[in-house]
Amino acid sequence: MIGEAVNGVPLILYIGLSGALFLLGLLGVMIRRNPLLLLLAVELLLNSANLSLVAFSRYWNVTDGQIFALVVMVVAATEVVIGLGLVVAVFRQRLALDVDQMSTLKG
Amino acid sequence: MGEQIVFGFAAAAALVSAVMVITLKGPFRATVALIGTLLSLAVLFVLLLAPFVAAIQVIVYAGAIVVLFLFVIAYLGERPVAEVGDRLGRYAVFAWLAVIGLAVQGVVVLATTDLPGFRDDPVQAGDIGSPEAIGRSFIDRYIVPFEATSLALLVAAIGAVLLAKRAVRSEGGR
Repeated sequence: MIGEAVNGVPLILYIGLSGALFLLGLLGVMIRRNPLLLLLAVELLLNSANLSLVAFSRYWNVTDGQIFALVVMVVAATEVVIGLGLVVAVFRQRLALDVDQMSTLKG
Repeated sequence: MGEQIVFGFAAAAALVSAVMVITLKGPFRATVALIGTLLSLAVLFVLLLAPFVAAIQVIVYAGAIVVLFLFVIAYLGERPVAEVGDRLGRYAVFAWLAVIGLAVQGVVVLATTDLPGFRDDPVQAGDIGSPEAIGRSFIDRYIVPFEATSLALLVAAIGAVLLAKRAVRSEGGR
């Protein structure tokens, strides 16, 4: 099996990759203004968290991290459903798809 | 050695497609780039002895969630993004500062941490990723979170229906 290779991949590489993906997603959330693309960047954030969870699960030899990753996937699905519902609702009000212009609630 | 080669390719593909997700202009193209990231992560999950999570990643994420995104993009059509130069544009430099600061902190932490086994070969793992192990863990120890996720899904479905109904009424009950 691949996982029993002599020269494996150390945990630090997985955590570094997960951190890099998280930073990219964070940058996307902050510089994108189309709410659809903002949701895509949030998916990147959730996936980087999933990668660390599964990596720690492998290196500490427990199943718990994978359980947590599956729960995170469910939360991501609900978040996408609500987020896309909001985007469609905004679109039907004939507003531009730009988070900069959705400022009605701003004090 | 083979594991390292696969890890290198999958990690590079994940990073490149993640950069494409946050830089490509069209929503359709960015969504397709997200599929690249998700599939690369599924490969990494297989490397991490989590074949069930990898399968769910491909079926639920790359299948259902991304297809939902594509449906909404097709429904809304490709709309031009508003012109640059308004309020959010001025804060982009702070976004870059925050991300660079976080990156420096992360590199420092990764370089100095002394977690046991952090830089060594992985230990031999038992049966942690099979559907049987995951099912037993869900039923034995994590039954409450499992039921909580079903409640979350129910609330999300009700919320989506309510959002759609109100939007239809606001445009004359079409």
